[in-house]
Amino acid sequence: MSLIRTVDICNKFGSLQVMKNVSLTVEQGEVVAIIGPSGAGKSTFLRSLCGLEKITDGEIYVDDELLEKRVDGHSQLHLSHEKRAEMLLRMGMVFQRFNLFPHKTAIQNIMLAPMNVKNESEKMAREKAMALLEQVGLSDRADDYPARLSGGQQQRVAIARALAMEPEIMLLDEPTSALDPELVGDVLAVMSDLAKSGMSMLVVTHEMGFAKEVADRVVFMCDGELASDEPPSEFFTNPKNPRARQFLSSIL
Amino acid sequence: MSSFEKIINWLPALLNATGTTLILTITSVVCALIISIFLALGKISKRRIIKWPSTAYVFFFRGTPLLMQLFFIYYTLPQIFPAMNISSKFLAAFIAFSLNVAAYLAEIIRAAIQSIDKGQMEAARSLGLSYGQAMRLVIIPQAYRRMIPPICNEFIMVLKDTSLVSIIALTDLTFQTKMIASNKASALVYIPAMAIYLCLTAVFTIVFDRLEKKLSVYESNE
Repeated sequence: MSLIRTVDICNKFGSLQVMKNVSLTVEQGEVVAIIGPSGAGKSTFLRSLCGLEKITDGEIYVDDELLEKRVDGHSQLHLSHEKRAEMLLRMGMVFQRFNLFPHKTAIQNIMLAPMNVKNESEKMAREKAMALLEQVGLSDRADDYPARLSGGQQQRVAIARALAMEPEIMLLDEPTSALDPELVGDVLAVMSDLAKSGMSMLVVTHEMGFAKEVADRVVFMCDGELASDEPPSEFFTNPKNPRARQFLSSIL
Repeated sequence: MSSFEKIINWLPALLNATGTTLILTITSVVCALIISIFLALGKISKRRIIKWPSTAYVFFFRGTPLLMQLFFIYYTLPQIFPAMNISSKFLAAFIAFSLNVAAYLAEIIRAAIQSIDKGQMEAARSLGLSYGQAMRLVIIPQAYRRMIPPICNEFIMVLKDTSLVSIIALTDLTFQTKMIASNKASALVYIPAMAIYLCLTAVFTIVFDRLEKKLSVYESNE
């Protein structure tokens, strides 16, 4: 059973085609890195999965259940509001710019959704949030507001916040791109730990080291298309796709 | 009697009328705030059936003079619908000000809500919060602080605009001042009257400043 499966999903915006027939499957426990030049549609793809961006064509499955099916922008599926919300919650999203709630402390950021969406008691939500902060190495910063945390710390809180909803897969959209270079390491370490613990992950990243060492597969996207999908050992040593080869030589 | 003694003698009457000015300002701004939250959310809404009436409301009340709206409620409405005869001048003024100020506050609230980074709504929705929950728990609490300075500004404008009610002979500070000026044939009374308006705006400026500082706690880096 696949966790996420997309079939020929597209995103057209007038004559501009941001995403063209992207088909990708992520299995339980897999870590998939999405790599490619900017404007390749990587973020659009990730955001389409969790409903932040509307696809115009194609199908999206979660746990082999249809979540979205569109033809020419028109939905071909009638899911109940609750069902759709429940399916979307199987995915946890982490943003490039963290998007922590600035008026809430670190621990309140993590507790907000469990208490208001899952109706967990404050005590239970707090215990869980503390454990998650421990997991990302920030248990001593629980009561700090985001403005008092560094970018790397904010991103770790954001990861903990997404984990608090107990997703089956984590979607990370360039989680380290907005960070100062010296702060990247801590966030990557948290992500590696998460991968080792068996969490399925789909990561848009420019961190080639992370893709090489942690990812099970590297997907290369270019001009809105999925150009190649291979294990990192092959992608980084002998990429099949000529554009991938060109991209790699330009960044290394 | 010296000028100074005259002014002292007028003070009790002036302060008495100041009560009306103050109560009218505060009650109508509070009522306007409640109306304006719905108007602002309506204007932001993507649904035309909600968006259109809110937009039309703001268009109308910002596009016609407040004084005309006051006349309309006090004189015109009873003429068209005898049942809507508002005998209380205060009530008529309260309704006119509430409706008018709501239109301005709605724009302030809308702008504050829309100034919050889009990523906040996305993060809230991706965590499973409904649109209403995201607004209530994430967006509006952050928008509060940004609303304070323009709302303070609006409040002070209303405080001064209430002098318009003197035209329908409601005994506010301006009306009382005019009465004293004509009865005692002395224009000196405008001096203490303006001083009272100044004191009131000063007090409210300080109160709103405090409120803004209190609400911005989380934005400081220290």
